[in-house]
Amino acid sequence: MDEAEIRATFSKIIKTEDVSPGIAAIKTLMQMVKVSDVTTLQELRKTMTIATDYMRDMDYPAASISSSSELLLRFISLASLDGVAFSECKRIMIDRGQMFLKKLLDGRGKIAKSASKFILDGSRILTHSRSRGVLYALKEAMGQDKKFEVFVTHSAPDNSGELMKKELDKAGIPSTLILDSAIGYIMETIDFVMVGAEGVAESGGIVNKIGTFTIAMCAKEMKKPFYVMAESFKFSRLFPLGQSDLPLDYKYTSSVRKNMILDKEDPLVDYTPPNYITLLITDIGILTPSGVSDELIKLYI
Amino acid sequence: MMKENSTAPKNEKKEKVGADGLTKKERRALKVAEKGAPDTPNVKDVKKQPAVQKPSNISDASVSKKERRALKVNQKAPNNISAKPTEVTKEESKEADVNEGKSKALLRAERREIQEKQRLAKLAAKENSLKKDAEPSGDTKNKIKPVSRSPRKYKKELPKESQKKVRLFNHLYCETLNNRGTCIINNVHPTFIALGEQYSSKTIIGSNARCLALLAALKDLIRDFVTPPKQELCRSLESSLNESVKHLQKCRKFAVSMNNAIRHFKVHLTQLNSTDLSDADKKCKLQDVVDVYVSNEIFTAATSISDQVKAKISNNDVIVTYGCSSLIKKILIDSHQDKKFKVVVIEGRGLLEGREMLRQLVNAGIDCSYCLINSATFVMNKANKVLLGAHSLLANGSVMARNGSAQIALIAHSHNKPVLVCCETYKFCERVQVDSIVYNELGDPNKILNIDTAEEESPLRSVSSKTPPESVNLMYDVTPPDFVTAVVTELGFLPCTSVPVVLRIKPVKE
Repeated sequence: MDEAEIRATFSKIIKTEDVSPGIAAIKTLMQMVKVSDVTTLQELRKTMTIATDYMRDMDYPAASISSSSELLLRFISLASLDGVAFSECKRIMIDRGQMFLKKLLDGRGKIAKSASKFILDGSRILTHSRSRGVLYALKEAMGQDKKFEVFVTHSAPDNSGELMKKELDKAGIPSTLILDSAIGYIMETIDFVMVGAEGVAESGGIVNKIGTFTIAMCAKEMKKPFYVMAESFKFSRLFPLGQSDLPLDYKYTSSVRKNMILDKEDPLVDYTPPNYITLLITDIGILTPSGVSDELIKLYI
Repeated sequence: MMKENSTAPKNEKKEKVGADGLTKKERRALKVAEKGAPDTPNVKDVKKQPAVQKPSNISDASVSKKERRALKVNQKAPNNISAKPTEVTKEESKEADVNEGKSKALLRAERREIQEKQRLAKLAAKENSLKKDAEPSGDTKNKIKPVSRSPRKYKKELPKESQKKVRLFNHLYCETLNNRGTCIINNVHPTFIALGEQYSSKTIIGSNARCLALLAALKDLIRDFVTPPKQELCRSLESSLNESVKHLQKCRKFAVSMNNAIRHFKVHLTQLNSTDLSDADKKCKLQDVVDVYVSNEIFTAATSISDQVKAKISNNDVIVTYGCSSLIKKILIDSHQDKKFKVVVIEGRGLLEGREMLRQLVNAGIDCSYCLINSATFVMNKANKVLLGAHSLLANGSVMARNGSAQIALIAHSHNKPVLVCCETYKFCERVQVDSIVYNELGDPNKILNIDTAEEESPLRSVSSKTPPESVNLMYDVTPPDFVTAVVTELGFLPCTSVPVVLRIKPVKE
């Protein structure tokens, strides 16, 4: 597969199926492994890394693409591949890849199940932008006949909150769209904040749609719990020390990055440090922020 | 103090006469022959000191080897270590020995000669010290030995006051060779005796340097070790090592890094025990174990940490650091090659290590400022990052580091500046500690009463002769994990709280 093909497959998956860029990246990579004609593991690994770079360089959030690709690479090459022919190797790797993908897709159900426990009758929940994880959790709780109310921010600049509102309406969940600037106003009336994440850093902090950090700060000041819903494929070995320390391809789309003066551009994501996060609800369990690093160490070392 | 202690060595003597099967006469003769030894290396010390004090810890270790060799030659390097009792005479107690009446020894003439020499040396020293005292910043840490006569004078004046114990820290006082006068050391390789001396005089200082020196000495021990007849190499080596370690611990408490290194070595020693290799092969293997440990756990780790921190340093950063850490020094000097940044070295009283750090950073061409810990708040406004070294990382995520680090971390935290603690994983420790009182090390309390950069003697000193003020010089403090943004290890950036996970997976890796 060449560059154009990879990009085409990737954007096709994102458009046709309702999946996060991370899953789409894994699917693209799996397809690439199937059709690739390389003959050694080394080459395969190399082509996969290059493909990941192509996908990161598109106008989609890069955070989950890089972490999920890295995890896939790690997962499929973990199998003992010594002393078998390469074709056999490839078959094993594809199997493992499918297994990995299945695990990830099942993960969302697990998250929804554990998150729904936090939603009680009469809860007032604030959420930011559009997150599939949060949506599933809310739907799950609705399915359990709980009565609650959701506040969704408009979430400039792409107003993805409006899409979230539409989806909530469709599911019959009572919701209110609020201004991004009304976070402080609404904070005293809500019970807790629930957001998704594009990426989870090694520190236990999250990278998410711009505005998340603001909400987290308000929530901390008002002493409201701040829950994050994230699949474990979003865990990455990144340790930002602050906003300026985030990688550029996380903050800006590739078309924006071509401009020389990035300071004047609006960033797409911000970094919420771990001390603002109450709990992370993931498919491997409900973790405190410090638990993330423990999981990552186990995974990578 | 002297009277109390003089009984201890005598008791030891009685035991030992039987133990090594030497007659009293022979033993005395041996002792007297060695008595001269510490004198000669002292002369060499003075010559070599500038080199020994060389900043980089690596050279610290390597040069001290030379020194050790010199000592060994003078002590007529024994064939079998265990057969030979060795005596260490502390510089301060030399005079005391003479008064104590040890001169009853056989070779009186020889002893008198030595005494004469000492007297002459002391006279010269007094003159020296008078001159040097007048100089404003005469004795930096660098020149401790060449100027060493002046601090020694202080010590003699104040022995009793300095022994006064502060009640809260009673448990931290321990009998060291420093305050015990003379004693007899048995079954210890001369390298370790020299090393102990360097530890207690703080010639070798810093967790990494001390560990490197220990491992170098360990290699010497392995090389020179002769298995006693009808005994097994690994077992007898272990017991010999234990003796040496016990001796070193009397000189100065072990650093966590050293404990870990010794533990690692002992694991390999017991593993090797079950194999049926020849002794020479085993020795070879053991030396390899030490070499691999040094290169993997210390040097490669440092390089990896340096690379990671370098990636986080951006141009025009202002980096604040405290005291002197070999690792931070390496990071800053490495990063300086392709980044432009400013460093603020903050200094704390006690060891005044910051000056050494500053010297080396400036030598490397880094733009540096230097300030005392009192003005840390002022500097912190302009800082972008705070880099701290560590003595050890504890299982609850606390950082044990040089006294004062916790304050710097606290100030940085209150200014919302990221605090990065750089620490190799071999310094991780299972202990849990929430304060710096339960477990710590005491430095020389006189260092607090004296300002060694002042032109005049501290006014506290004249007071101290009548009603001595209580002074405690703690070596380390404990920084709670809340104030630390991340710990940089060779495994990557980690939050402090991940220490137990690393401790859990590490044995698996080995």
